[in-house]
Amino acid sequence: MRLLRHDLHALTGVYALDAIERGAERERFTRHMNGCQSCASEVRGFREAATALAFAAALEPPPAMRAEVLAAVARTRQLPPEVRTHARPRRSRTRVPWVPWLSGAIATAGIVIAVLFGFAQAHTQQELNQARAQNQSLAAIEARAIAELDRARTQNQLLAAIMAAPHVRVLSQRSAKGGVAVVLLASVRHQLIVTTSGLPALPAGKVYQLWLIGPTKIVSAGLLPAAKSGQTAPVVASGVVAGDKLGLTVEPAPGTAQPTTTPIIALPV
Amino acid sequence: MNPSDSDASRFRSASTDRRGERDLDDLLIHVARGDQAAFEAIYDRLAGPVYGVIRRVLRDPSQSEEVAQEVLLEVWRSAARFDPAMGGAATWVMTIAHRRAIDRVRASTAAAEREQRNAEIHAPRDEVAEAVEASLDRERVRRCLDGLTEIQRESITLAYYGGYSYRQVADLLSVTLGAIKTRIRDGLIRMRDCLGVS
Repeated sequence: MRLLRHDLHALTGVYALDAIERGAERERFTRHMNGCQSCASEVRGFREAATALAFAAALEPPPAMRAEVLAAVARTRQLPPEVRTHARPRRSRTRVPWVPWLSGAIATAGIVIAVLFGFAQAHTQQELNQARAQNQSLAAIEARAIAELDRARTQNQLLAAIMAAPHVRVLSQRSAKGGVAVVLLASVRHQLIVTTSGLPALPAGKVYQLWLIGPTKIVSAGLLPAAKSGQTAPVVASGVVAGDKLGLTVEPAPGTAQPTTTPIIALPV
Repeated sequence: MNPSDSDASRFRSASTDRRGERDLDDLLIHVARGDQAAFEAIYDRLAGPVYGVIRRVLRDPSQSEEVAQEVLLEVWRSAARFDPAMGGAATWVMTIAHRRAIDRVRASTAAAEREQRNAEIHAPRDEVAEAVEASLDRERVRRCLDGLTEIQRESITLAYYGGYSYRQVADLLSVTLGAIKTRIRDGLIRMRDCLGVS
C-alpha cells in the first residue's frame, strides 16, 4: 500500500509536464491528487517552473494572428463561472429530509450531485478535443464549440433550477442487475434528474431506457447516456406526476416506444 | 548585455516578476467579466510564450498558429474558470497551451510527421535564431537547465519541448520508467528551486 502511494507520488513531475498519456494511470493519479495536498502543491510548483520553460521558448507570433484572435473574441460568448461543486451537495443535503433507508444512498447522492455540474462541461470539452483531433478548420471548431457550450450551459441552468426548487427529494434504488440510480425529484416542477452509478455495461445494440410508469400509461423518459467511469451524465425527465414510478429497462437501440423487458428499477416518485 | 538592461527585462518578465504576475491575474479577472481591452493586454503579454511553446512542441508553423489561436480563444472563453488560488495567470495560460499542443501531437498518428519531429528534436538550437528577444527569462532558464544532470535535462526537455510521454522518453533514453519518473521529478525540484518559484 505504501509502495503504491509512493509510486503514485512519483508521478507529480511527469504529470506537471503533461507526459502521462491519457488513460487509467493518469486518472488514478488525478484521483490521488484530489486527496493529496502535497502532490497538488508540488504539481503547482512544477507547473510554474514549466511556465518559465514556456517563456524561454517565446517567439513572435505571426502578425496577422492578433487581429484574427481579437475578431474571434469579439464574436465568442464566454463561459459562466464554474458552479462550485463543494457548495452544491451541502445545500441539497440540508433540504433533504433524512430517511433511514436512504442513508447509504445519500452518500452516493452527494458524489453524484458533485459531478452533475462538471459532467456536461467536461463532456463538451472532450468533444471539442475530438473535433480538433480530426483537424477541422478553426471556423468549424468555433461554430461547433459555441453550439456545444450553449447546450451545456442550458443543461446546467436546467439542473441548477431543478436543484434549487423547494422540497427537492433525493431518492435512490439499487437495480436488480447491480448498480444504483439516484434521483433528485422536484415535485413542484414535475421534473426529476436521474444519474446512475455502477450499472452493468451493455452489449452492443442495447441501451438503458428510462420510463415514467403511471397508473394508466407508460411514457419514455429518454435513454441513459453511455457511462463514463461507471457513472452516467444527468438526464432530466419532465411531466412527472404523483403516483408515477421511474422505471429503467434494457431495450434494443435506439430505444422503443414502450418497454419490452422487465424494469430493473421501478422507483415510486 | 549591460546591467541596466537586465534590470529592465527583469521587471518586464511576466514569468518571474511577482508584480507582473499579480497584474496578469487582475487582467484575467477583468477578462472574465467580458473586458476585451484587458484581453488585448493579456494577448500582448502572453501570445509570444503561448505561440513559442506550441511551436516548440508541434514544429509546424501553420498548425502551431492554429493551436495558438484556439488556446487564446479558450483563455477568453474560460477566463471565469481561472482561480488565482490555484496558481498564477501565466501558469494557467501556459498549462492550457502546452496541454493543447500535446493533445494535438498525440492525436496525430502520421508516422512521417512523427519521424520528422524525431529528426528535428535534436537540433533545438536552430530555434534561437527565431527568438524575438534573448530575454533574461531565457538566460535564467538556460542557467537553471545547465544546473541539472544530463539525464534530468534531457528527460525534461524531451517531455516538455519535445512533447513525448514519459514512456517514450524512457525508450529514447534507454532507462526504466521508474528512473524517468524520478529523474523528471528531481530535475523539476531543482529547476523550481533554481528559478525561485515559491
